[in-house]
Amino acid sequence: MTLALALLLLAPQDPVQDLQQKLRAVVDKVKPAYVFFGNGSGVCISSDGWALTNFHVSGDRNGQRVRMPGGKQYLADIVGFDPLGDISLCKLRDAKDLPFCELGDSDALEVGQNVIAVGNPFLLGNGSWEPTITFGIVSALHRYMDNPGYFDAIQTDAQINPGNSGGPLITLDGKVVGINGRIDIKRFMNRVNTGIGYAIPSRQIQRYMEAFKRGGRVFEGFIDGIQIGECGDSRYETTGEYGDGVFIARVDADTPGGKAGFEPGDIIFEAEGYRIGNANRFHGVVSNWPEGATIRVKVRRKAEEKELKVFLGDPAKILERKRALEALDLGFAPEAGMRVGAIQPGSAAAKAGLKQGDVLTRVEGRRVGSWPEFRALLRPNAELTLTVTRDGKDVEVPLRVPRPKSDE
Amino acid sequence: MTLLLALLLTLGDDPMAPLLAKLRETAAKSVVAIDVEREADPDGITGGGAVSQHRDYYNRPKGPTSGVIYEDGFVLTSRFNVSGTIRKNGLKVTLWDGRQVPGEFIGSDEQRDIGLVRIDVKGLPVLPRADASAIGQGTFVALLGRSPDRSHATVNVGILSATSRMNKTAVQTDAEMNYGNVGGPLVTLKGELVGVACNIKPDAVWGQSGGVGFACKTAEIDKLLERMKKGEHIPAEKRPFLGIRAGEGNPDVEGIQIVDVMKDSPAEKAGIKKEDVLVELAGMKITDSESLKEALEPRKIGEEVELKVMRKAKEGWQEKKFKLKLEGKAEP
Repeated sequence: MTLALALLLLAPQDPVQDLQQKLRAVVDKVKPAYVFFGNGSGVCISSDGWALTNFHVSGDRNGQRVRMPGGKQYLADIVGFDPLGDISLCKLRDAKDLPFCELGDSDALEVGQNVIAVGNPFLLGNGSWEPTITFGIVSALHRYMDNPGYFDAIQTDAQINPGNSGGPLITLDGKVVGINGRIDIKRFMNRVNTGIGYAIPSRQIQRYMEAFKRGGRVFEGFIDGIQIGECGDSRYETTGEYGDGVFIARVDADTPGGKAGFEPGDIIFEAEGYRIGNANRFHGVVSNWPEGATIRVKVRRKAEEKELKVFLGDPAKILERKRALEALDLGFAPEAGMRVGAIQPGSAAAKAGLKQGDVLTRVEGRRVGSWPEFRALLRPNAELTLTVTRDGKDVEVPLRVPRPKSDE
Repeated sequence: MTLLLALLLTLGDDPMAPLLAKLRETAAKSVVAIDVEREADPDGITGGGAVSQHRDYYNRPKGPTSGVIYEDGFVLTSRFNVSGTIRKNGLKVTLWDGRQVPGEFIGSDEQRDIGLVRIDVKGLPVLPRADASAIGQGTFVALLGRSPDRSHATVNVGILSATSRMNKTAVQTDAEMNYGNVGGPLVTLKGELVGVACNIKPDAVWGQSGGVGFACKTAEIDKLLERMKKGEHIPAEKRPFLGIRAGEGNPDVEGIQIVDVMKDSPAEKAGIKKEDVLVELAGMKITDSESLKEALEPRKIGEEVELKVMRKAKEGWQEKKFKLKLEGKAEP
């Protein structure tokens, strides 16, 4: 009898044993890509050291000390960040051949599906540098919360605690489908998991990735120039059912919303293939793209259905931010081959001690190969250490980046 | 019977159910309930600040806790379950078959939070040991305990979350652990003993049933078993401590965001407040919990150190300096 049971347990068709094998295999695969990030977590998503974490874990300071399992240290630079959506994209300096975990498709998740969370709850892994693995299911999808803006969160009962923030939520095929962030705490004076944890979905992160890599703060998308409502508006009561879409109460001309062709009375019921039933979901879907993106939105207008293309964000503000960054006058002429040209007396470059003929190689220890790349690393009012080659030697130059004019 | 099991495995809704049923039938025979009657007022407590130092008395829920038959005639449990001044004949052990027998708390280790209780009953089943090399992060485990009425076993399932915790003496699990099942055995789904549940106490930051629980490894228990049998109570080594709880960093200031200041701790006495950001200790820059650990390690208990913190005021962040005297605390 015991023998028979043992055989049953070992037989590959045993679903428990099957799940056990999958679980051990996925833990072995993904654990090495985990990043101990300050008092939180992160995950490496490429072999050359791109890593994701929460903004509330990383902030935007460059050169933070992080560790990989086993304790190897790296310095992390925060390249792109979204404080509202609570995501930061970082780059580990001088990283190569790192173990990493690919981003998966959070749209393919199903409620009830098994997932694991990798993290460092209560910083228990500090010292042994062994992260914590917890196991659970996807409890719900498309959860909406504001501040911080978890507008389209995955809810999981895989136990997530303080210190898990920024760590990955992973499917049993070893893909990152979310970045774990906030938890619901209902215990007095005690920040401990209650079976409700939230993760930012991987699809949203993928859509932000290009903007993150360009560097600096990334803003969430929204449809400028339309005012929406759910119910309480008499016109809505006659044109749609509650939960069946969002009603457009007003459209301003000469805005992206107006230009896209929205009209008052339209009911938005879908965007980019996602069904939109209410205002929270509308917000959740639209903020899945960063500002500057263009998305397709479907509306019902009387008996008709229409698909409209709309630009996300306020173009004037986007332009203003772009100009402000471009206008940052460091006071030198950039030349080919990363060579520093003529220097204006009294400029930031002159104060830093840059000399004509210097060849710029690094910013804050990070290699830069082009001027746009250099631009992307500039933060208004930041102190950056530049490394230049001068007379065949590496020289470090402290540069104070001025504030853009629009900030003052 | 085997056929029935096979059918259950293929047809049953939950393939894990038969394994758990077996645990309840067999492994549960090694799980005991422990009842302790304590002196109402322990010696030396006169009120005031002393209460917080004796939270074991004041924040302890009623009802039995759990333990495991570790060797013939010996029950192993969490030290917390049997700590405090126990009344004469106040320790009772309830066996799986309902028999209640007197127990004697004979030895313990504070650091590992384990306690040894002797009972005058022989021949109770002892669990087989799990092979430590065959298990690892992700292995399914079950935490067994005794129900509040002592009549049957409780089973909470989870995985091994980590294998190197509490200075490598414990494993970590996400099986829900609370005041009732702490002290019980953590077993594999085949009923092999991995460790003994420990370190769920009123002052544990991970709380109870929060998905973070610990079990002292059997190899660690074995190291100390003979000493405990001889009646030794091994105290934990005290380390310098401040009494702050660190948060997840602050986007504006580099340092440790203080999310809580413990009552009557050196930090509270010095005037450090929740929401402050600790940036320097004894001249060493603090950037994260590791650098705090490094800064605290060479200090001595009783030594006075200077702390620099940033405090948010209307005008922005302001630097403040505090002097405090380090106290000793046994860290789990």
